[in-house]
Amino acid sequence: MNDRTDIWRARLSEYLDGELATPERAALEEHLEECGDCRALLDDLRRVITQASRLVDSPPSEDLWTGIAERIRAEKPAGIDRGASTVTDRHRSREATRKLSFSMPQLAAAAVLLVTVSSGVAWQLAAGFSSRQEEVAGPAPTAVAGELLRVARVANLDYESAIAQLETALDAGRQNLDTATVRKVEERLALIDKAIEEARQALAADPSNAYLNHYLAGTMRRKLDLLRRTAALTET
Amino acid sequence: MPQGDPDLRDAALAAEGDDGAFERLYRRHVNRIHSLARRMAGPDAADELTQDAFVRAWQKMSQFRGEAAFGSWLYRVAISVILGHRRRLAIHRGREAPEESIRGGTPSHETSTQIGIDFEAAMETLPERARHVFVLHDVEGYKHHEIARFMKITTGTSKSQLHRARMLLRTSLA
Repeated sequence: MNDRTDIWRARLSEYLDGELATPERAALEEHLEECGDCRALLDDLRRVITQASRLVDSPPSEDLWTGIAERIRAEKPAGIDRGASTVTDRHRSREATRKLSFSMPQLAAAAVLLVTVSSGVAWQLAAGFSSRQEEVAGPAPTAVAGELLRVARVANLDYESAIAQLETALDAGRQNLDTATVRKVEERLALIDKAIEEARQALAADPSNAYLNHYLAGTMRRKLDLLRRTAALTET
Repeated sequence: MPQGDPDLRDAALAAEGDDGAFERLYRRHVNRIHSLARRMAGPDAADELTQDAFVRAWQKMSQFRGEAAFGSWLYRVAISVILGHRRRLAIHRGREAPEESIRGGTPSHETSTQIGIDFEAAMETLPERARHVFVLHDVEGYKHHEIARFMKITTGTSKSQLHRARMLLRTSLA
């Protein structure tokens, strides 16, 4: 392989994408006629492009709408009158009636309530932080942001407490689940725990960052939701 | 109200606060958004980023004017959310340039030469920036000037990262 080949190898993607100027394209095609290595590499790159174009979209492993619905309840577009009770309003109302007992299903439902309250705090936090960054210069937002951050940290502690209780309860009911389900849940928990750890490490460097606090709360919400749904399975 | 395109009709309703219409939009587009998030940021972050993208879209519904297809608009919202998330996490880890943030590491010789290796799994091993450019260009069909704007890089960097990604991936198809 010579220097000329090295130069053209670096331009093969541009050639395939039709981004070489006419003189360069002609020169490269001349080189290709005499260079088997570059012709082989060109075929490889074509296969990569073809493979990428054939990828098929797939759905998430679980329905994400519930989590979205919880969040947009507090995120109605500005100026919108919510008017009559919506499906999500009624859903929230049902959730709010569940919080007075402590068996497994009730514990799971309480987790949902905690998710709702805490995610609302997190979004208030993020919204308040960003809007004030855009609209106000100076020290005015400090007190508000500081208070919201304090509340968010308390919410994260509440998440940890709820998660610990659900994990303990799940351990007790684990024998009621089939092996495949347990494996799938453990895989997903491992992924979520990794994301939580990632967020915590980032927060260690910047504890007052609103985005990171929101991200941590959201990731804990995912874990709570997974534990809650798994807990429900142990009861069936 | 738009009558023909169900997306336009539901987008108009969602902009007025109809979360049922927004749920229909979610159902029609979630596979594509989730696949984008999974390919760009990895499976562990895909669920959360998908939710973030739809919540952001909900917040911005009043800005959707119907000039472009709703799916295209939603996609750009999602790309912004995904890239913003990765950028912020990288910065707050103290790594300004997440360039060599490779999830799963560079393909080993054994892995890269396995016939029939899952192409998406191979994509996950790409360096982060090369993976983002590859997904946006070769999977999603964006142009380099669009990718450069999304990622705040030059078109030259976009081209070089795309070539780098293809060169790494070709071994997975050997």
